[in-house]
This record gives sequence, C-alpha cells and structure tokens, in this order.
Amino acid sequence: MLKMDLAKTLEILPRSIWVFLCNSGSCNGCDIEVVATLTPRYDIERFGMKLVGSPRHADALLVTGPVTKYMTERLKHIYDQMPDPKVVIVVGNCGCSGDVFYKSYSLDGPVDQVLPVDVYVHGCPPRPEAIIEGVAKAVLKLEALRESLDSKEADVADVAQS
Amino acid sequence: MMLGTVQSGFGYWNVYAWIVFFALAAVLVFYFRSAGRSDYKVGTYQDEIFYGGNPVPKDGDEIAVPASSAYWGFTEALSPFYKLLLSLHTGIASDYVGYLVVTTALISALIVL
Repeated sequence: MLKMDLAKTLEILPRSIWVFLCNSGSCNGCDIEVVATLTPRYDIERFGMKLVGSPRHADALLVTGPVTKYMTERLKHIYDQMPDPKVVIVVGNCGCSGDVFYKSYSLDGPVDQVLPVDVYVHGCPPRPEAIIEGVAKAVLKLEALRESLDSKEADVADVAQS
Repeated sequence: MMLGTVQSGFGYWNVYAWIVFFALAAVLVFYFRSAGRSDYKVGTYQDEIFYGGNPVPKDGDEIAVPASSAYWGFTEALSPFYKLLLSLHTGIASDYVGYLVVTTALISALIVL
C-alpha cells in the first residue's frame, strides 16, 4: 500500500522545483503574493517548491513585473546562468503583457520579449492559488523538458557507441 | 612511538581516532560534493559566479568595502581632534622631549600648589 502511494507520488512529483525570483521592475505586489505562497496558509513548500538565492541552483525563473531597460541585460544574464533544463514563469499582468505600463518609455516590454516564457500567471497581483497552479504547470513542463533532454543524451550515447 | 596516544602535558589524544575521524569527514565531503549538479556547461555563464545578474568584476578592489567605512561617521565627527593630534606628532625628538618637560612641570606645579 505504501509502495503504491509512493510510486503515485513520485509519478506526480518526481523532483521538487527550486525557484529563483527576479523582480524585473515590479511594484512588489506580485512579490508579496509569491511570499504569501510560502506562508503556512498556502505552504507551497509541501510540494517541494522553494525560493533559492542563486540561479545556479534553480530549475525555474519566476519573473515579476515588466522588464525595465536597466534590467534587460541582467535578466538575460540570470537566465543564462541557470542550468538546463529550465522554465520561466511570469507572475502578474505587468510581466505578461505590460498592463498599464505597456507604452512606458522606460520598458523593454513584457518578459516574453526578452526571454522564452513557459507559464503565464495573470492577475494584479495574482492570488497565491493562481501562482501555485502556475508552478504546477511549470513542473509538468520541466519534466517534459527533462525527459526530452535525457532521450537526446541517450541518442548521442548510442551514436557514439555505434 | 610516533603514533598512538600522545601526552600533551595538558591531557592526551589518540592519533588513530583522529585519523579515522578525518577519513570519515573526507568521505562525507566527497559524497556531498558528488551529489551536487554536474550538468553545468563549462565555459558558459552557467559556470560563472552569480553576482546579481551583473558581470563579475575582475578587480576585487572594485567591490571591496573597507572596514573603516563602518565607523566613518565617528572619525568624521572627531576629525578636528585627530588633526590636532597629528600636528603634535612632528617626528622631531626635541618636540617630544619638550612635551615631556612641559607636562612634568605642570604636574609638579599642581602637586606643589
């Protein structure tokens, strides 16, 4: 019985997701909601998600806010520093579309004009439940990426052997 | 005998126990090191130190904050006093002997009076 439950759990969540949070110009509203998901009320750490202090330890990059001109290069740099496979989650309307700041002179646009975005979480700010749903989608995407990377590596190994 | 129990004068310690301890610690260290991620692409940004998304400065002095910054306000507030002390320290021996003579005379006068 225990074995079956363990297998089911591992099938759903084989590896926990570690997230690096980057505020690329947010008003901090989304960041507060991200922190709220970590509180005992929502407790996203029960799913293994946690915020890490370095992109080199992260599986996912969570971006809040539209990308200001100052942050563009830094955001790209942070993304480049993450090991593969990696996903990008955008939290909040500003990061998804630019929202009311869309035409602002100081922006390089929404996040998908700077980085390849995998999951969009809308809201101003989005509720913690929405962020948890976004992370769950990111986990699925990450697993798919991981499998495709593993199969590619296996193909390369087969070619090398033959 | 070199190995075995060593008397230090304040007690004793067992050399073999320490060798076993260091061997165990080394095994643990290598285990944790091997458990880390090894899929970084060497020579790319993935292999670089994380410095808040900024390029890592080549010269450490660019990012070093001297310890004196911690008490900058203190030294700034007392700078007139320090200037006076510095001006007194001329490096000329006759000046220092003069200070000694004058100070001794003042203290002697205070005692006598």
